[in-house]
Parts: sequence; C-alpha cells; structure tokens
Amino acid sequence: MNLVIRKREESLGWGVLVVYLGALALAFCVCALLLKMSGKPGFGGLAILFRGAFGQTYALLDGLVKAIPIFLCALGVALSFRMQVWNIGAEGQFALGAVGATWAALTFPGLPGVALMPLMLLCAMLAGAAWGAIPAALRLRLGVSEVISSLMLNYIGILLLEYLVFGVWKDPASFGFPMTAEFASGGQIARILPGVLGKLHWGLLACPVAGVAYWVLLSRTRLGFEIAAAGEGERVARYAQLPYGFLVFFVMGLGGALSGLAGSIETSATLGRLQPTIMVGYGYTAIVVAWLARLRPWAIAFTAYLLAAFRVGGEVMQLELQVPAAFGPIMEGAILLCVLAGQFFLTYSVSLRPSPKAARPAPPANDANDAAKGARS
Amino acid sequence: MDERKHTGSPLGTPHGARPDARTDIGTDLGIGDVLPQVRLTGVTKRFGNVLANDGISLSIMPGRIKALLGENGAGKSTLMAMLAGRFKPDEGRIEVAGKAVDFASPREAIAAGIGMVYQHFMLVENMTVAENVLLGQEGGFFLNPAEMRRVVGGLAERYGLPIDPGARVGDLSMGERQRVEILKLLHRESQVLIFDEPTAVLTPLEAEALFAALRAMSAQGKAIVFISHKLEEVLSVADEIAILRRGRIEGEFLASEVHSPAELARRMVGRDVVLEIDRDEVSAGRMVLDVKHLSGEGLEDVSLDLKRGEILAIVGVAGNGQQQLVEVVCGIAEPQAGEVSILGKSWADFFHSRGWKGELAWIPEDRAGLATGRGLSLTDNLLLTTREGFAHGQWLERGRASETTRGIVRDNDVRPGRIEAQAWQLSGGNLQKFVLGRELYREPRLIVAEQPTQGLDVSATEAVWQRLLESRRTAGVLLVTGDLSEALQLADRVAVMFRGRVMGLFPVTDTAQVERIGSLMAGLRD
Repeated sequence: MNLVIRKREESLGWGVLVVYLGALALAFCVCALLLKMSGKPGFGGLAILFRGAFGQTYALLDGLVKAIPIFLCALGVALSFRMQVWNIGAEGQFALGAVGATWAALTFPGLPGVALMPLMLLCAMLAGAAWGAIPAALRLRLGVSEVISSLMLNYIGILLLEYLVFGVWKDPASFGFPMTAEFASGGQIARILPGVLGKLHWGLLACPVAGVAYWVLLSRTRLGFEIAAAGEGERVARYAQLPYGFLVFFVMGLGGALSGLAGSIETSATLGRLQPTIMVGYGYTAIVVAWLARLRPWAIAFTAYLLAAFRVGGEVMQLELQVPAAFGPIMEGAILLCVLAGQFFLTYSVSLRPSPKAARPAPPANDANDAAKGARS
Repeated sequence: MDERKHTGSPLGTPHGARPDARTDIGTDLGIGDVLPQVRLTGVTKRFGNVLANDGISLSIMPGRIKALLGENGAGKSTLMAMLAGRFKPDEGRIEVAGKAVDFASPREAIAAGIGMVYQHFMLVENMTVAENVLLGQEGGFFLNPAEMRRVVGGLAERYGLPIDPGARVGDLSMGERQRVEILKLLHRESQVLIFDEPTAVLTPLEAEALFAALRAMSAQGKAIVFISHKLEEVLSVADEIAILRRGRIEGEFLASEVHSPAELARRMVGRDVVLEIDRDEVSAGRMVLDVKHLSGEGLEDVSLDLKRGEILAIVGVAGNGQQQLVEVVCGIAEPQAGEVSILGKSWADFFHSRGWKGELAWIPEDRAGLATGRGLSLTDNLLLTTREGFAHGQWLERGRASETTRGIVRDNDVRPGRIEAQAWQLSGGNLQKFVLGRELYREPRLIVAEQPTQGLDVSATEAVWQRLLESRRTAGVLLVTGDLSEALQLADRVAVMFRGRVMGLFPVTDTAQVERIGSLMAGLRD
C-alpha cells in the first residue's frame, strides 16, 4: 500500500472542527503524559487546570482580563502575518507601549483624566509603532530578516523598560522595589463593576473596537486588499504595482501600535504603575494565538480567551501540584505544534492506494559495479 | 518508431526531403546491435488537457552525446523528469539496459544508473567537495577525510574534472560546483548523465571545460543527454540531435548532418500550422509605443515602434533580450540609454502618472506566479490590477468586483466557473483566459503579451488568439513569442532578436525576409 497525498480542491467543511478538536485532544494527551513523567497525576492534573480556568466566576473574569492584552497583540501580529511579514516583536512593542504610557502619566500628572488617558494611549501607540518600524526599515534598507531583528528588539525593549524602572523613574517611596510611582487617578483605567465583575476593566472596550477595525480594514478597504495581495510575494506585488515598502511599514507600524496599546492598558489598568512584572510573555502567546486562529478576528478573540484561561488554570495547577512555571509555555507549544500538524490535513487529503503491480526496477545489472562498491567500503 | 507525424511542412528544411533522418538513430548509425542504455517507446504525459509529451520514442546510446533541443515549454523538462523518476508516464515504456522500469521515485532512477544535473545545484555549501560527493554513501560508520579526498580526487582526474576535493563548496565558482554535481553522479556509477541547460550559469571558458569533460565521459562509455536551446553549443558538443516541439520529437539526426546554426534554428522553431485563424485587417492608428536606440541591461540599440491596430511579434530563441525589453516597456526596469515613449508620453512621465484603465496591460509568461496570486480568489485576482476602478477613496466595492469577475469568467469560459476559486486551482489555460479577460477589461491601448499560448491546448490557444486579434481595434499588441507559427499567423510585423539586438524588423508579407528568420535568430545577417 502506498500513501497518496493530494492537495484538496474543496475545503473540509465541518471536518475542520474535527481536525481542530482532535489536535487539541492530542495536545492535552501530550501534556498529561509530561505531567505523568514528572510524577504528577496526568489527566488529574489537567482536571485541576480546567477547574482552575473555568470552574469559578472569578476565574472566568480573570481569564477575560488576561485575554485583553493577548487579543490586541495577536491582532497586531496577525496584520503583518497577513502580508507574510513575520513580526515576532509584539513583546518588545508591548514593553515600549507601557513605557510610552508611563512617560505621559509621569510627565503630566496634573492633567484631568479625559486628557491624560488619550494622551497615554497615544504615546503608547506611537512608541509601539516606532519599535515595530525599526525591523521594517532594516528589512527594506538592508535586507535584514524581520524575524531576527524584531525578536532581538524584544530583549532591548524589555531591558529599556527595566532600566527606566530600576533607575530614572524609580519611585523614591518604593523601599527600593523596582517600580514607578503610582499614576494619578486620571491615568488609571477604572474597573467596570468592582464588586460584581472582579478585576475586569474598561480597557476591554479596546478589543471590539480594534477587532472591528481590523475586520473592516482587511475585508472592505483597498489598503487591506493590498496587504493581502502583497502577501502573495514581492513579484506579484511588483506586477500589481503595490506600494510594497509602504505596506511593510504600515503593517509593522500598526501592529506595533496595537501591541503598544495593549502594554499601556495593562500598565494603567491592572497595576496603575510601571513594574517589570508586567512582562509575562503576552507578546509571545499572541503569536501562537494569531497562528492558531489563522489570522481571523473572531477566531483570534476566541483563541486569545482560551489561552488566557489556560494561563489562569495553569497558575492554579502550579500551586496545587508544584509543577514548574515553565509548564505554561510548554502547554502552549504543544497546542501550537499539534494544531499546525493538524492543519496539514486541511490542505491535503491523504488516502491509501494499493502499490502498483509492476515489478520494481531492477538495479543496474552490473556485477563489476557492486564489486567496485564493495572494495571501496 | 517510424510513426512520428508531421502536422505541417517544415520551413524549407532539408530534413523534409530526407526521411532517413527520422528513423531510429540506432539502426541508422549501423550500431543497432549495441543495446541502448535507455530506450523510450511511445512515452506520453498529460497535465490536464495539455499534452506535454506525445508518443516520444528515443534511444540513448552509451558513448554518445545526445542533445535535446527545443524551445521553453516544448516538453524537454517533462521528458527528463520522467527519466529521472519524478513523474510517471501516462503511456509508453522506458527500458534501461533492455529491462522495462517503472520508477516510483528519483531514488529508484538513480539506482538504475540515471543521474541528472539540474540547473539549480543541490549541494551543501558548508561541506567540502569530497563530503558533498560522498554524502549519504560513505560506507562505514567512521569517516576518513584523507581517504575520501583520495577517492574523489581520483574520480576527478579520470574524467578530466579538475577540482580540489578539500575545498569548501561555498567558496567555489558555478563551474566548479557543477563539477561537484557531476562527480556525485559519477561516483554513484550513473551510466546516463542528463544535463539540464548546463551552460546557463557558466562563463564561456567554463562552458568549454564542461564540453571537454562531456567528451571525456562519453569516451569512457557514459551516455550523455544535453538539454539546451543554444544552437552553437549543441552543434559543437553533440553527436546526435533530437528536436522536441510541442511535445513531439520533430526530427532526429546526426550533428554532422547539420551545416549551420541557422539550419538548426529553422528545424527547432518549425512552422507547422497547428491552428488556422481568420485575420481581418485593421487600419493602423496612432503610435502607442516608440523605442529608440534602447541599450543596457543586455539590450543593444533596440529600436521599434507599434501603432494601434497592429501586432508586432518579437521572435527569437529565449534569453536573447526579450525579457529585458518587456521589463522596460512594462515599467519594471528603467531604460539605461535611449528613449522609450508610451502612448505619446516619455517613459518616466508615463509610469509616474500611470492609470489603471485605457493604458498599458501586461500579460506575462508566468501567469501563475506573477500575473496572479496563487492563494487569492478570482475576485481578488481581478482587483490585483483593477482595484483603482473599484475603490472610492479607501472603500472597495467588493460586490461590484465580484459581479465583474463573474462576467469575465462567463465571457471567457473560464473553468471552473466559481469566482471563489483560487488561482492555483485553475489549469494553465483557464488561468490564462482569466488573465487575458482581466487585462482586456482595463481597455488597454498597449498590450504586452509574453508567450501567451505556451502550454495551452488548441481550444485555449484559439480563444487567446481570437481575443488578441480583436483587441487590435483599440490597442497595439507587442507579442513576444518563441513560436514562429504564432508570430506569423497573428502579427503584422516581426522583429527578430539575437543577443539583445534587433536583427531584422519586417512585415510578415515580406516572404524573402520571413524565409531568413532562422538565420537571423542564429545571429546571421546573410
């Protein structure tokens, strides 16, 4: 029997759901196996994770709070992925957004909230966009791969944030802890209904706004069409006279702005000040989310929430089972790899075919050759 | 073996008068008792509707160099890919050393002693020559670098392929890398070595060295197949020449029977009429393209002009500057020296203020990777060059674009008729009909069409020809083609290119000049 692999002519329909669920199930089996191998209950551990993630109202709300920055960063990277520009730098752009917002909050503490808050968001988006524009410029001018440069800029961005928090912006009243002074109340994003909805804050509003804007941009505008068309490669872009360089700047800049926005919301809403602890890898999770969701906004929203919930549940599991913190990223990785492998079946069909009856080709009937080979080896 | 059909009369070629040239070369040479290393009988390969190889019979003899000559798209690569185990023939049989084979993979072809040197080398740049040659077949577990170098050095000496076995491949020139590829095959005891346009990447000096090595290998009993469309080369190195045209062997003869490159060129392009088309006269209008003394980027002093109502065909063997000319006319490359004016404007003015409608349309040779985005739907592919017509500021009228796409698909009989289909799901002919429909929707006044019917079946070819002839009413057409029959049927005038120059530009009605096209393509003015 031979395996025959063919490209699908028609999409799978409901089979897509089966493939995704199967891939998720496989990923969980891998995780359970890993837990088992480290001496913890395998599926029992996963049960604790699920209970921690979805078992209580406050856990659900906590997941939603964590999903906000992940969703915004994921939209940012998805925009560049649409054009086959590989922005791996959401984490650094997130850090720069936090820095930009903090600068505005610390420089203009006296401004009323209606003025300070938009200023903070604007500064954050500009800082994030500038950080995203660097890899774009390097790629267009010097041919540097944006994968490498945007990834490395993450570390520079995080170190810049730490430099500021440990030095220039350190709060004198912080007893030596690396943190800035708390923002004025106008610089803090309020919670929606503190008693009822827990830590859920008004930053949530940014998600539908950004999500709808992303959808409109890509499906209804000329610019969005040009981004998708440029994703077919530079040759097609040149033939169709697309402004390729501008588009690279645009997707990297806007993507950076979205990640920056996420950074400012996280700083302002959950901490009310800048601390190095806000860097927990949302920018990397966002890449996983964008890819799993195949760049579609609704799927990004759903996946962002799912992975945020797993983060919440993972923390509970860490506490109860004493598993290392690295288990969270390991799980994300397992899910990503399984789903990517599963996506193969969306593009290709695999079937079995009986092997041809014809005789195998005879090897060169030349004894001298074989003798020569024998002598050499 | 003698069933090869001729669809038309060759253009004054002597081989029509010499039927023996078409018989099996093995018996013809009086070496019928020598077993061919490879014998193909009636090999046929289809891709969808397109017949890439049509009943090909060919014998490859040990100790001989056989050149396979043909234009791009004639089916050379498909034929060799079947020999190398990458495709399976739909019909016919392949025998190696007298035994029928059915390769399921390139590995099996290599095991049967058939090796191929591709245009793009497959070498590990960070490894030495010796390591590359022996990669995957070192024998024992432990490597012995000195012994490896000795083996490879010996092999290189035996076949006259001078190379330092210890050198890193990344440091080598293209010619040296090619030698490494050849050594790989020789080390695997390949009895048949196939070279796919081996001189494309070589300097003239390196090419000479390669020819010497080819002769040395054939003198030691290897069967060599040499694929090319360069005429002089073929004449200087080959023992036997087979001409492939539109998927068929259109002639097979000894190199010594051919007296000049011009004769070979005539045999290669042929003039068989596959399809007749009615062509009414359209009166010429305003000048749409005027090229004066264009030079640089491989072009030398090219001058030509084109008026509305006219088709000007650029013919010549591929790689003689046609590509560069098209790139300048279509705005991809800037003219280095000389003047180009399009629709009455200078090149710079035209491309600075270029609009989507009523100006220039380009139908490139590469319809799947340049004219369309593989992963885009037909509607998106329509928008690729017409988006300005469907945009109000930033808003794109997708509904109207879909409606227009549906119209183009219907009027041009593009199958499948779904506008959601992505470009890669269409066959070459249907994609070409779509591209043509899209470009004509832009109501261009200058059309550049490169090899517009290459790889298409007869009905698609007819549809494309019809549309091009119709478009003369509103436009001038620059038709770049390697198919002389197409040029003579469609064009009003023909320009022959050789090494970046226009060797001649004349109306197709000038029969004396038309007879000389073969010579002009080979670079001979008289």
